Amino acid sequence: MHAHTQEEQRVTERSDRRAPNVDMTPMIDCVFLLIIFFMLATTFAPLPGIRVKLPPPGAPSKEKPKGLILRISNPVGGDDSGVMILNNEIVSLDNAFGVFMNTPAEEKEMLIIQSGRQVIHDQIIQVMDRAKRAGVLKIGFAMVQ
Amino acid sequence: MKLSKSKKDTNLPQVPMEPLVDCVFLLLIFFMISNILKIPPPFRVELPESKARSEFERKRYSVYIHATGQISIDDQRMENLDQMLNYLLLKKKEIEVLIIRADKDAEHGFVVDVMEKAKQAEIDNLALAVSEDDYKGM
Repeated sequence: MHAHTQEEQRVTERSDRRAPNVDMTPMIDCVFLLIIFFMLATTFAPLPGIRVKLPPPGAPSKEKPKGLILRISNPVGGDDSGVMILNNEIVSLDNAFGVFMNTPAEEKEMLIIQSGRQVIHDQIIQVMDRAKRAGVLKIGFAMVQ
Repeated sequence: MKLSKSKKDTNLPQVPMEPLVDCVFLLLIFFMISNILKIPPPFRVELPESKARSEFERKRYSVYIHATGQISIDDQRMENLDQMLNYLLLKKKEIEVLIIRADKDAEHGFVVDVMEKAKQAEIDNLALAVSEDDYKGM
């Protein structure tokens, strides 16, 4: 390049111009900061869940608990969900919400889910979901053998 | 001339504080993250979906329940419920809300067993985790 004559230099003036020195450091700083920001943002995102409050310690009260009692049988055969019975009527997950909505408010204070051990967790959560949305205040679990 | 020169010499060297502050902030953020960063459980848990939900803070010590009945607290595998109870008794001061992440196919009876152990460890506030995805069902 240094050997160029004046004329040649004029011709190649464009390519001769030194490429601007791009400083990468601030960009990398920014990128790292963004990475950290997004990592934080995902870990601080709240976790959805259903609140469960355990009853105070002590023997369960002798009084017959008031409220709705929903019985769920253990799933049989290839079924993945058990049969649900509320007030001697079979309910399904599809109509459970309507049934809970139609029960008078004083009965909606508490729902006791009486279920077999082998009922899958998903079915219980679905029932709790319907009940909570229909305004049931408390949900209790009871196990039957 | 002489005076001004000696005066300049006695000036304290300017210590730049900015890099130090930057470093401290970065370390602060690093420790904040590392403290709460999701600790992967030893197995995959598929959470059930629900529309009714509350929101909870992500904290350490959540119980994972696999569909086959294996339990783990964060990444610590628990051999049985008694071992879990001992672990909870040790850590109960640090646990405000115990989040139970039970697989949707887990047995309900087993989930209730875990809740009973939590109660024995005097942890009264529990949460049943549900899927973070949007609810697709009814």
